[in-house]
Amino acid sequence: MVPAAAPRSARLSEAAFAWGLVLPAVAAVVVVVFLPLLYSFWMSLADVNLLRTSGPALELFGVRVPLFRFVGVQNYVRVFSDPLYWSSLWRTAYFVAAFVAETALVGLAMALVLQERFAGRPVMRSLLLIPWSLSRVVVGLLWLGILDFEFGALNGLLDNLGVIDGHIAFFKNGFSALNVLVSVYMWNQAPFATLLFLAAMQSIPGELYMAAEVDGAGYWNRLRYVTLPAIRPIVFLVLVLATVNGFLMLDLIYILTMGGPGNDTTTISWLGFQTAFNFFKFGPGTAILYTLTALCLLLTLVYHRLILARFEPES
Amino acid sequence: MRSMDRRTFLELAGIAGASTLLTEALPSVARADKPINFSGWVFKPDTVKDYVSFYNQKFTGQVKYEAIPWAQYHPTMETRAFAGEIVDVMYCNHNNRERWFESGLIRAVDDLPGVDELKRKMNPANLDSLKSKDGSKLLGLPYFTSLFVLMYNEPMLAQAGIKAPAKSWDELIDQCLKLKKDKVSDTPFLPNWNASPSGTMPQLMTDCFSEGAQVFDAKNQLIVDQEPGAARALERWQKVYKADLVNPEVLTKTSSTDTHRLMWTGRYAYHTNHSYYLKTIAGEPENSKLAPKKARMTMYPGTGQTYMWTDSYVLNAKTKVLEDAWKFTKFLGGNLNGDWYVQRQWCLISGLDNPYPEMYDHAEIIKSYDRWIDLALLRKQYEKGKVIAAYKEPWYGEYDTRAVPIVHDMIRGNTTVAKGLKDLVKLQKSLA
Repeated sequence: MVPAAAPRSARLSEAAFAWGLVLPAVAAVVVVVFLPLLYSFWMSLADVNLLRTSGPALELFGVRVPLFRFVGVQNYVRVFSDPLYWSSLWRTAYFVAAFVAETALVGLAMALVLQERFAGRPVMRSLLLIPWSLSRVVVGLLWLGILDFEFGALNGLLDNLGVIDGHIAFFKNGFSALNVLVSVYMWNQAPFATLLFLAAMQSIPGELYMAAEVDGAGYWNRLRYVTLPAIRPIVFLVLVLATVNGFLMLDLIYILTMGGPGNDTTTISWLGFQTAFNFFKFGPGTAILYTLTALCLLLTLVYHRLILARFEPES
Repeated sequence: MRSMDRRTFLELAGIAGASTLLTEALPSVARADKPINFSGWVFKPDTVKDYVSFYNQKFTGQVKYEAIPWAQYHPTMETRAFAGEIVDVMYCNHNNRERWFESGLIRAVDDLPGVDELKRKMNPANLDSLKSKDGSKLLGLPYFTSLFVLMYNEPMLAQAGIKAPAKSWDELIDQCLKLKKDKVSDTPFLPNWNASPSGTMPQLMTDCFSEGAQVFDAKNQLIVDQEPGAARALERWQKVYKADLVNPEVLTKTSSTDTHRLMWTGRYAYHTNHSYYLKTIAGEPENSKLAPKKARMTMYPGTGQTYMWTDSYVLNAKTKVLEDAWKFTKFLGGNLNGDWYVQRQWCLISGLDNPYPEMYDHAEIIKSYDRWIDLALLRKQYEKGKVIAAYKEPWYGEYDTRAVPIVHDMIRGNTTVAKGLKDLVKLQKSLA
């Protein structure tokens, strides 16, 4: 028997009911995500002085939101004409590239180890998460305690073992300081990548490995032809997350180097933070940080094309 | 043990909650009508809480205190003002005071009762620091004042057979070279070259002053490229860095506090930093190997002049409790009812220096300073303290931060002193 079609009013009310269900979530997303995004983008196009209380303003939930004076792309022009922005951009590119590569490789290597069966594996899996669960301020202070020229545990250890003659100054040279930042951040973030890789590896059917073994595939071939293709979506996710996190990293710079020596560890996020919160120039500050957002989106598209686009047709 | 059923527990909890609410809600005849909101950056917040409790008890006040981390303190206060919040009494450092005044966040205090007496009692240089750019208004009362001093490690000099601390920069470098050569110290000199606003730049001004150089002219324009003394100071910095006489990581220390802690190890012969840091270096045996009084201060070499500044307590221009807020401000930064309680306590507890000279006639303070410093010498150094007015310019904060990498590049020899000084002037002009 063919069921009678629902009356039009019933279908409408069903749609309205569905909208009613999703509306609170949509409203929350608009208020929490889109409004601040739009407002900060507006700030990047305006002359912002937080202390100026006169001028046009919106009244939102009892809070006065000044609209500031529109200056068009003036903030962006100012940012792009500053040589410090460009040197910081190249430094950021190096930082992100090194960080993404280290995080992905170390995360994958740890996942491969923890995928194997050995005594103490559950404990190792739990311990693995400790660096990731630490606050970044704590991570910075911890590594400062390890690497410091004067008090550092590593220098003390190497000195006691007679390996070094004088203490090593990890933060003396700008390039060395930048690489220290990369490695410390990788130490903090790689466990999360490991967790994601492990989850993906555990969802690979065992039959694929058995079939590969029957075909005579050794460990490396199984890794290359079974594991890596199967975890490709997670590789994409890890790369995107690591890239975004790399671009936005700020707290370790704050704790470990303050952008120095000189400007040798000044990245775009640090420059944006300084411009907005040290110099109180919120217009150019948000403009600097919006260029980071654009870069993150661009790289996400690139990763998508390189990794996922080839994956999706196969599926 | 007597057990309690759920009903009884809920009844008791309800009574307790209601009584708490009622206690808070009922008007207290002994207290001020409206609370005073008070915020400061984090420096010994428990001590500040004690001051606030003391005030609330003694003067039946209702002060609510909040400590905000130093790095975000000024932006936080600005964003709060932006959102319409009124913090009645605030800390304000010298770099932001004029900005806050010109933007209408804080008010001048000249018209408030008792201020003329405080002005008369204050050291003229500190009073000048606290005034508006045009010199016509007093923008707050002093929290503390400080200047740069030269400290030395007496046992280390004695160990190397050096009889007296250096009186000139050349002598200081010679002594440091000898200490390094004799393997008494790997890095004998510890200048305050950290990247924060309290480090490299005020240290540079200090060393320029000690070389007899002016840093800013009467119109607050940077003139270091025309001053041979500024070039001499920076060439000396390059020389000590190149000779590995300084801790190679001092450029990436994040604060003057972190920098001064290196001196606790006893591995450095000389250290330049804010005067009050000698209190922990020479006065806290639980922290420092150079306590008690193994580290000492000596007069700054050259002209002896060093950079001096004054941080302050300020009043919100929109405060609705002006009378009470001013009373509390006088308690913090002045002599409410003739008692310098907070000013005196800061001297005793932290060695923070004071812009009211009469504080140093106090027997208790003299005795306390005697535990860690030669007070007479410190006062003599204060006579050489030099203030500037350039920090009252709107561009100063950004200049002060963006100049640090240029100076660090000069120190590391990445750029010549002549070019670096020109770059500093170019930077200042681009911001002015």
